[in-house]
Amino acid sequence: MTNILLITFAISLIYLGVANRLSSYISTLAFQGILLFGVAFIELIEINWVILVFVLLETIIFKTIAIPYFLNYVVQKNNITRDAEPFLPDFVSIVLITVIILGSFLLSNTIQDPHLRKIFFVVALSALFTGLYIIVTRKKIITHVMGFLVIENGVFVLSLAVGNEMPMLVNIGILLDIFASVFLLGIFANKIGDVMQEQDVEQLRNLRD
Amino acid sequence: MNILSLILIVTASLFFTGIVIRTKSIFSGRKGPGIFQPLKDVWRLFRKGAVYSKTSSFIFQIAPSIYFASVLMAIFLIPFGNQPGIISFKGDFIFFAYVLALGKFFMIISALDTGSSFEGMGASRESLYSLLAEPAFFILMGSFALLTGHTSFYEIFSSLHFGSYISYAVGTLAAIVLAIIALIENSRMPVDDPKTHLELTMIHEVMILDNSGFDLGLILYASNLKFAMYGALIANFFLTPGYEWYYSIPIFISTQILFAMAVGAIESFMARFRMNHNPQYIFMLTSISLLIFLGVLLILGKIA
Repeated sequence: MTNILLITFAISLIYLGVANRLSSYISTLAFQGILLFGVAFIELIEINWVILVFVLLETIIFKTIAIPYFLNYVVQKNNITRDAEPFLPDFVSIVLITVIILGSFLLSNTIQDPHLRKIFFVVALSALFTGLYIIVTRKKIITHVMGFLVIENGVFVLSLAVGNEMPMLVNIGILLDIFASVFLLGIFANKIGDVMQEQDVEQLRNLRD
Repeated sequence: MNILSLILIVTASLFFTGIVIRTKSIFSGRKGPGIFQPLKDVWRLFRKGAVYSKTSSFIFQIAPSIYFASVLMAIFLIPFGNQPGIISFKGDFIFFAYVLALGKFFMIISALDTGSSFEGMGASRESLYSLLAEPAFFILMGSFALLTGHTSFYEIFSSLHFGSYISYAVGTLAAIVLAIIALIENSRMPVDDPKTHLELTMIHEVMILDNSGFDLGLILYASNLKFAMYGALIANFFLTPGYEWYYSIPIFISTQILFAMAVGAIESFMARFRMNHNPQYIFMLTSISLLIFLGVLLILGKIA
């Protein structure tokens, strides 16, 4: 069952490559939150129930409800245009994301460790690189935040693989990370929205001292 | 009894497009034509003679027959549950793909043969989209060949058994990918709009603008057959071997009807993609097939 959820997660990464509306990015992130909730529930069912409840609440409330809601709020508040506006055409994006998934698959196959479950490693690594790719190739600040959230999801998947041993530490770190990133960048986007009309990283090139 | 799959596919092809059109008319609130209207159109065209342009050569005249024959040849390979098709040999899914490609190739050169610029454009698009859909089909069938250890349709489908959760997921994904490949190969909605009247946005329809009469009838009926053929291929995923005929035939028919209704629903509720959005949509199938391949490796325990 975990494998199905993780493969669906990988498909959602591919979808992120071709989605061209901010709303589909946000709903994909919410969907990934649900998938991670499922994976966390199945994988961590044996640990202390307090920690389990904490992890599950984190995935369902933060990843699935709060962050997408907040991102929606930022998009609407700042009148950000609804297009993702990538630098590269979508066809290149999807080819590269496929190459990323294949590459992380091949990379994980070279590792001979009986303790490591490779599907977690493959999905986590491809989520990491896909997030980086989204950050690099999209114009808007808000899509950079989304790319960062994809990276966070990847790290979360990897931490679930070892979640039985040290759950608390990993999850507090992730929770803090997500909260800080969205909070700070939200404020950042709000402030920039007051000064400039467009939230486009291209505008930063016009800055002079 | 090997002829059973041919009989069933031909029967399904008689009402397939009719169900698609009927679903569309119900969703848009029209009375709509009857189920057999597409078949009557084909019959009307069969009784007419064909008109050939003076600039076109013999290729234009033989292409529709070769196209029809290639689709029929491909249908011969489709098994039905634990019954093999009329022809069955090792590696026949490669033959399946390339016999369809042969028919498509003749349609493309016949479109170029007419000398119309619109038809050349449509031919170029059609070849691009089938080129992008081909790796998806091969990775998909290759994964199943790896999973079952056999290389023909009949052996693959008769030794395919679903045991664990992940094999159900792989089967569902494969059925979805095959359904989308069927939509692309038949030039249906998300990629191409069969009802469009603007030559610039057509793909398949623009290639057959110059065909008339009997030839046009052959092409239209071949696309019905092609739909039923892909529907049969999808149905084979659900025909677990060991079922008696009184289970498998209703499963086959209901899969075909559901597939036709799904096509009709997609055509009613989706708009055609912009032409430059099509390649990434089709390439997405290849990516999903690669994930199916990953799932198959998981089932086989090649990766833990």
